[in-house]
Amino acid sequence: MTNVRQRLGALLCALVLLAAAAPVTITGQLLAYQDGFVFFTTGDGFRLAPKVTILDEQTKQPAKRAPQARDYARAVFNDTGQVVEIDLSDKPYPVGPLPDAAQAFAVMASSPYPNPELEAPVHTTSNGVPETFTGKLVLVKFEVQVPPTTPITAQIYISTDVSGWNPQAILMDRIDALHFVVIRRMASGTILHYLYTRGSMQNVERGPNGLSVRPRELVVNDSDTNSTNSVVASWADSNGNGILSQPSVFPTPYNPAPFPNLPGGIHTPHP
Amino acid sequence: MHLRADRIDFYYDRYLIEASGHVRVQTSNGMVITGDTFSMDLRLNRFLVASHVHLRSRGGNLDGAAIADFVDFNRIYFVPVIEKPDRWTYENGDFLHPLKGRQMPGDVFYFPDVSASTVSLSARSALVQAKQFVRFSGVHAYFLHQGVPLPSYYVYFGTSQDLAQNSLSGANFDATWNATGNANSITALHVRYDQFNHGYLAFEQHLAGNEPNEYAVFSINPMTKNDKYWNLVTGEHIGSKFEITTFTQLYTNQLWLSEPTASAQTTYVTMTQAFHRSYLTAFLNQTNYNMLGPEDPASPNHPNSGTLTWTSYNNQVFKTPLYLEYFEGMGFNHDAYGLQDYGGYLYTTIWNQFLGFTASLPNVKIGDRNRAYSMYYLNASLSSQRQWMTVPHHVNTQNSTISLSRQFSRFVNSYLSYNIQNTSDLYLVGGYESSAPILPDGTPYTPFESFRGAATLRTATLGTTYSASPNLVTTVTFSHHDDFPAAYPGLFPLPPTNAIGQYTYSNYLGQPPWQLGGEIRARILPHLVLDVQRTYYFHFGSQIWSPSFVVQLSE
Repeated sequence: MTNVRQRLGALLCALVLLAAAAPVTITGQLLAYQDGFVFFTTGDGFRLAPKVTILDEQTKQPAKRAPQARDYARAVFNDTGQVVEIDLSDKPYPVGPLPDAAQAFAVMASSPYPNPELEAPVHTTSNGVPETFTGKLVLVKFEVQVPPTTPITAQIYISTDVSGWNPQAILMDRIDALHFVVIRRMASGTILHYLYTRGSMQNVERGPNGLSVRPRELVVNDSDTNSTNSVVASWADSNGNGILSQPSVFPTPYNPAPFPNLPGGIHTPHP
Repeated sequence: MHLRADRIDFYYDRYLIEASGHVRVQTSNGMVITGDTFSMDLRLNRFLVASHVHLRSRGGNLDGAAIADFVDFNRIYFVPVIEKPDRWTYENGDFLHPLKGRQMPGDVFYFPDVSASTVSLSARSALVQAKQFVRFSGVHAYFLHQGVPLPSYYVYFGTSQDLAQNSLSGANFDATWNATGNANSITALHVRYDQFNHGYLAFEQHLAGNEPNEYAVFSINPMTKNDKYWNLVTGEHIGSKFEITTFTQLYTNQLWLSEPTASAQTTYVTMTQAFHRSYLTAFLNQTNYNMLGPEDPASPNHPNSGTLTWTSYNNQVFKTPLYLEYFEGMGFNHDAYGLQDYGGYLYTTIWNQFLGFTASLPNVKIGDRNRAYSMYYLNASLSSQRQWMTVPHHVNTQNSTISLSRQFSRFVNSYLSYNIQNTSDLYLVGGYESSAPILPDGTPYTPFESFRGAATLRTATLGTTYSASPNLVTTVTFSHHDDFPAAYPGLFPLPPTNAIGQYTYSNYLGQPPWQLGGEIRARILPHLVLDVQRTYYFHFGSQIWSPSFVVQLSE
C-alpha cells in the first residue's frame, strides 16, 4: 500500500513538474503581424522574441510565408511573455477570449479600465430567455393567418430585406384554410424585416385600414426556436369585394358578368 | 464610404464585404484608413481594417494594428502601435480625445467565418451608403462559378420595400443586373426566360422617395421582342391616411423602336382613404385598345370603369371567436361601343351596386390544449355578396370554406378542407336558357342543359405536409371537385393569357374531378431552395397531368 502511495506521489510530482515546464500557448486568428508584435483578433498584442520561429502547424517545418491577418495560428510564449514560435494552421482554430495566463503577456501602453457601456443588463425575452445574440443558427417559425377572402389556390410567400425584397423569397406551406407556416434556420442576432405576399409586390399585404404597411421586424435571439405569429389584414390587390384580376392582359373583361368564358354554343342572356 | 483594394469580395448571402491588398477606406467624416485587409458587415453597419493600419484623421496621422468603426454607435476602436500597442476608443467622432485603455467589446476585431459561403462578386472599389446600398465598380459577378465582367453592380440592403416595387410580370427565370443606383434609385437590366417568349431582355428603373411608400417604377418588358409592354407603377402616401397607387401599361408591337404596328394602353388607379375602423377605396380604369389612330384596323374600344368601396375592419363580434367584415359600394363600366346587348338594347354604361360581408372563425381549438399534437384547429369563413346592375339582373356570389387541421407530430401536419363557391347570375326577365355546347367530337354536351346562370364549385381537399427538416418539405394534396356545370376536358375555353403566356384568372368553370398533387421543396444550396409541383388528374379524358411542372426557386 505504501508502495502504491509512493508511486502515485511520484507520478503526481512528475505531472506537476511537466505542467510547470509546459510553455504557455494560445490559438486563434491573427489580426496583424507587425512592428515586433503579433496581434490576435481579441485585439491583444504580444511582443515577438528576437528570433521567433514561424512554422507550418501540420508539417512542423518553417512556414513558406510570414504570418498575416486572417491566418489561424498558435503562439508559444517563453517565460518572459515573448512569443517564440508561431505555428500557422490551414484549419480554423476556435476564436474566443484568451486564457488568463496569456492575457498577462498582452502588451498595452495604457492601463485598462472598465467600459460602462458593456455592463448593460441582458434583456430577457417574453418567455424569460436571456436575449443574447451569439450568431448560432436557430429555428425560426413563421406562421401567418391570411384574410378569409384569400383565394383557396393562393400561395403565400415572405419577402424580406435580407433577400432584397424578392416577393417570392420564402414559400410557405398551407396548414389549413387560413394559415400558412414555414420554418427557417437563421443566425441569432439577425434583424429581419419582412412582409407577406401572394407572389408579387402588387399583392403584398396591407394593413386593416387598406393602406400600405411598414415591414414587420423580427430580432432572432438565442432561443432554440423563435416563432412569430402574424395576421394579414388585407392584400394590396383586394378591393373589398374580392381579389382584382392582375392588370396585365388585353382585353380586360369589362362587363362585370360572372361567366366570361362560357363554352361556345351557350346563348348569352336575353329576355 | 469609399473602399478601394486589390480585391473586394462580396458575399450576397450574408451581406459581407471582405477585401485584401492595399486597402484604402475613406469615410464621410474625413477619416482615411489604409491597411492590408478589410471586413464589413453591411447589416451590422460596422467595419474593420487590420494589419499595417495607417489612420489619417482630425487627430493627426497614426499607425496601428487594427481599427474598427461601429458606425451606428459612433464608436471607433483603434489599436495604435506607437512604441507599444494600446487600445483607444474614439467617441462621437472626437479624434482629439481618445479614451485610452477603455475596455472594448469582445468581438470588435473578429473576422467573420466565410468558409461556408461563396463569393457572389468581386470588385476593385465600392461605395457604401450606410444601411442603404453598396455600389461596386470593376466587377466580376460569379454565376455557376464563372466570373462575368461587369462595369458596376448595385446592391440594395435597406429596410424599405419601396425600391423593390416592380412592374415586371413573372418569368420562369430572371437574372437581374442592378447596373447602378443610389439611395433613391436602381437601374436594372433583366435577363429573362419564359415558355412563351423564350429568352429576352427587360429594362427596369426604380425610384423611391425619402418618405415611406413613395415610389415609381418604369419598365420595358420584353425589350428585345416585337411585343413590348411599357409599364409604369407609382405609389404615394399623402398624409397618414391617404394613399394612391397607379399602374399604366402601354402595349406596342414594333421592331426595336420602329413605328408600331399595334398599340394599346390601360391605366389603373387605386385610391384609399382610411377612416376610423373602416376605409374607402376608389378604383378607376381606362383602356384604349387602339393607340394608332382611326385608320388602324384594331378595335376602337376605349372602355373605362370605376368602383367605390367602403370596407369595415375585420371586427371581432363581441368576445366570440367570430370575426365580421362588411362592405358596400357602387361602380360603373362604360364602353361607347357597347358592353352588353340585352332585349335589343345595347348598354354602353352599366352601373352597379354591391353589398356583402365576410364572416370568419379564424382559429378555434378543439381538444386538450396541453397536448399540442392531439389538438384540432377549426377554421371557417363565409363571404357573400350581391351585386345589382342597371342591366336588369343581379349576381350573387358566395364563397364558404371550412377546414380542420391537426399537427400530428413535429414533422407531420394534415388538413381537411371543404370549399363551396356559388355564383348565380339572375335576370329579372329571361336570362340564360337551356343549351348544349358542342363537344370537339361534334356531339352536344347535354349535362349543360340545366345551366341557367348558376354555378356551384365544390372542392374537398386533404393535404398533408411532411417536414423532415426545414431543408426538405413534402406536401401531398388530394382534391375532389364536384362542379356544376361539370367539367369536361376542352369544353371550357381557357382564360386569356398575359404577355408571358400565363392564365389571367384561374377560376374558370370546371375542374378535373379528382386531383392528386405533389410538391417537394428541398434546399439545394445554402441559400437556394428548389420547389417542384405537379398534379395528376384522374378520370379527366385524355388529360392526366396538369399542363406543366411548376418549378420555383426561393431562399
